[in-house]
Amino acid sequence: MEAYLAAIGIVVLINVLLALGLTLQYGRTGLINFGHVGSFAIGAYASALLALQGVPLVICFIAAAVLAALAAWPIGLISLRLRDDYFAIVTLGFSETVRIVITSERWLTNGIQGIPGVPRLYERIGVGLPAQLAVLATLVVVVLIAAAVIQRIAKSPFGRVIEAIRDNEEAVKALGKDPAGFKIQVLMVGAALAGVAGAFYAHYITYIVPDQFGPIVTFYTWMAIIIGGVGRISGALVGTAILMLFLEGSRFIKDVIPGIPEIEMASIRLGVIGIALILFVTYRPQGLMGDYTRR
Amino acid sequence: MLYLQLVLNGFVQGLVIGLGALAITLVFGIARFANAGTGDFLTAGSYGALAAHKATGSLLLAGLGGVAVSALVSLLAYVLVFRRLMGRSVMALLLASIGVGFTIRAIHGLLFGHGQYVFQVPLSRPYIVLGMRISPLDLALMLTAALALTILFVILHVTSIGRQMRAVADNPELARVSGIRVKRVMTTLWLLAGAISAVAGIILGIKTVVTPESGWDMLLPLFSAAIFGGIGSPLGAMVAGILLGIAQELSTPFVGFTYKIVLAFAVMLFVLLVRPRGLFGVVEGVR
Repeated sequence: MEAYLAAIGIVVLINVLLALGLTLQYGRTGLINFGHVGSFAIGAYASALLALQGVPLVICFIAAAVLAALAAWPIGLISLRLRDDYFAIVTLGFSETVRIVITSERWLTNGIQGIPGVPRLYERIGVGLPAQLAVLATLVVVVLIAAAVIQRIAKSPFGRVIEAIRDNEEAVKALGKDPAGFKIQVLMVGAALAGVAGAFYAHYITYIVPDQFGPIVTFYTWMAIIIGGVGRISGALVGTAILMLFLEGSRFIKDVIPGIPEIEMASIRLGVIGIALILFVTYRPQGLMGDYTRR
Repeated sequence: MLYLQLVLNGFVQGLVIGLGALAITLVFGIARFANAGTGDFLTAGSYGALAAHKATGSLLLAGLGGVAVSALVSLLAYVLVFRRLMGRSVMALLLASIGVGFTIRAIHGLLFGHGQYVFQVPLSRPYIVLGMRISPLDLALMLTAALALTILFVILHVTSIGRQMRAVADNPELARVSGIRVKRVMTTLWLLAGAISAVAGIILGIKTVVTPESGWDMLLPLFSAAIFGGIGSPLGAMVAGILLGIAQELSTPFVGFTYKIVLAFAVMLFVLLVRPRGLFGVVEGVR
């Protein structure tokens, strides 16, 4: 039971990291990133491949963050010239491109067979509960640091500029600030968070295949920040927790109502997420913990 | 000769992309948002046609059935979701359209399962022209697409509702104060978008296989062609779709089958950066 709870805690926190990245990008800056899973995938594959070459895990994690951030850089450059909806489509294309590359470049990623045997964190402690708790503790620390950084950014002049970009980009330009550099930095930091999340994921699951990095992951994260409340760290936490409760809970429905095969459950999950997206966007765009004083 | 054959295959693929892009560009031009659920409208058309084909055995009725199903799905999406979000932010409409797509895909998964369906079409001997193998089926599909396009362009350019649609696309405020009933225009728009998506979905289904994901997997080429052709330009979407289809097929001997989608993405990026108004688009203040 403890092991199960620890496992859920790990999965939730990995998703909180993803949600924090999107909170910074969309919630704070207004960048509609539909390609978040692309950064997640780059982090996961980079860290897994390096670790299998014998590179120390600390360096793998750093590489995951750096590579994910670097891959977001060109997207940032393009974003400066595009309207919101075009940017959303381009980012969606980015994540699909990442997925197609990791599917096709078999020499590097082993294609659809994926990469088995990715080393775990804290392998010396073993694979039991203590190791899991150590992973959990590490994740708690990383999430706290990420949250603190985002909070710090929010209170800084930088944070006020990105909020202003979200609320009225033209006004920011008129005041002599160039939104371009700010947007690129925000995208890269958000992508780095997703990259670290990907590294944690790869080293926790120990087996990664391209199918795990479909667009649905991006929209799970969107769902989480919208349930929780856009732009708030508490929102990212609460939203992710509720989402994961639902995703985990849907596994147990099988036991309660027998006769629903897993493949049907996948459809039901997809449908529930789809309907929830529509309902939240329509009736409660600020989410549960949202800032009601703003638009 | 191989290349000529690829051009021909690409042309048929391009019809799918062009018709789907047409649905996107119509909605973008008139309802003013990028409908990410369009791919799943295609799939609704494919499944509708499959069901009608199974029930009646007639390909003609299958086509009409698919068009009816997809038009209905599209209209429902408007009435239940998009209508309530008109005037809201780009994010709201985009995310809602993703939600609509997910919901449609979930329903497909539950109704038809996740296996692959194929249309049982009679095999026939291909004509050989200039060394190209042209199957009568491909010719029939081309004629179908041409017929659908003719009907669409007649509606858009000859009928009164078509003129009203173009007026709303041009300037929604002016159209409204001129007494154009926006509700009627929107209803027509969504029925047309659904119907034209269905034609794309049926051709796609006949040429390949139908799965709940088959339409969604086409979404990037569709957006790419809509942008390439110039957002809001039906003719542009069609021309760009066919060009993209041919380019994708011609690229396969060099980059392999899987990179088709990446090519569509690259074309989209290139167009956005170099000529954002596309082939036939008009200059807009913002992009």
